[in-house]
Amino acid sequence: MANHTEATFEKQPMWAGGRSPFNVSYGKLMMWIFLLSDAFTFSSLLVQYGAQRFSNIQSPVTTKWPDPASIFNHFPFMHGLHLPLLFVSVMTFILILSSVTMVLAVEAGHRNSKKEVQRYMLYTIVGGAAFLGCQAWEWSTFIHEGARLYGNTFGITEQGYKHLSSVGFGDHFEWAIGDRTNGPVPFAALFFIVTGFHGFHVFSGVVINVVVYIMTVRGVFERRGHYEMIEKAGLYWHFVDLVWVFVFTFFYLI
Amino acid sequence: MEFHAKPGEYDPINYVPRTESHGTKELWKTFWLLLGITILDFIIYFVMGPSGLRNVIFILFGLVKAYYIVGAFMHLKHEKINLALAILVPTIFIFGLIMGLLYEGHALSMMK
Repeated sequence: MANHTEATFEKQPMWAGGRSPFNVSYGKLMMWIFLLSDAFTFSSLLVQYGAQRFSNIQSPVTTKWPDPASIFNHFPFMHGLHLPLLFVSVMTFILILSSVTMVLAVEAGHRNSKKEVQRYMLYTIVGGAAFLGCQAWEWSTFIHEGARLYGNTFGITEQGYKHLSSVGFGDHFEWAIGDRTNGPVPFAALFFIVTGFHGFHVFSGVVINVVVYIMTVRGVFERRGHYEMIEKAGLYWHFVDLVWVFVFTFFYLI
Repeated sequence: MEFHAKPGEYDPINYVPRTESHGTKELWKTFWLLLGITILDFIIYFVMGPSGLRNVIFILFGLVKAYYIVGAFMHLKHEKINLALAILVPTIFIFGLIMGLLYEGHALSMMK
């Protein structure tokens, strides 16, 4: 149905009007435009983070930007151990895995295989939910440690840095008195705003995926003759993964 | 809302180009690549001490990951070059903003 006029207009010159010079459907082009604008939104947040961080670069050690390894070093069920980067790497792995199941759903849609689309969409939804659960744990741990929107108790003193660098991966670690002090105020606020905004995107992505999954189960796309909606939902989902790459790089690695 | 073109007429609202499966080989290759780079990130984080060079490596790795996600997963490598450029060229402004605001942030740190 949808393709019955394709042969006629594909012969028309590309930029003469009357056809899309991008050779994508209207909906997919609009999804791309939306993602471009969303990329600007996330960039403005991350650039703000970078500017705040650079504004503390020359300061004395007590007001330096906190070392992420000293804060995000927890792992569920491994209380008190110094395991920097481990949990967030697991989160990254979950998101990459759900990205791959999403793209497999798109590929199954190209073959009009309803069963496979259903299965891979379900995997993707589970992956997204697992990521959200991890993020909830990360946030609650961070808040229990004293993180607030309006302050930062994660500044590290000279003594604290010595203490931190003496601890190996997997060792037992607890802050001693005098290790920590007040740090740059926007630290926790920026963490909450940027990861929160990303988490909100993951959440809406899961909602979109659930809607698309239900539509697949009910055979809406089968009747329509193509599974392009999976591609559009997939674009959004991969964009969320793309943003996470940069959140991971700038909040945890650097 | 439904739009229906007369037979033989191009209907820009309902038009969906024909898509074919390229198989899953490229997708799995991309997955292993992304996983490998993430593991490499993890290793470098512990092997190298904090330094400017390490940050440059992390950012370069991030850009490589972004290239594979956008190119293979979001399929932009296989779209028409018109679309790819229309999406990618405007992001130049982001790099301008990064340069400008990091410079300003650094200047602020001198005054603190």
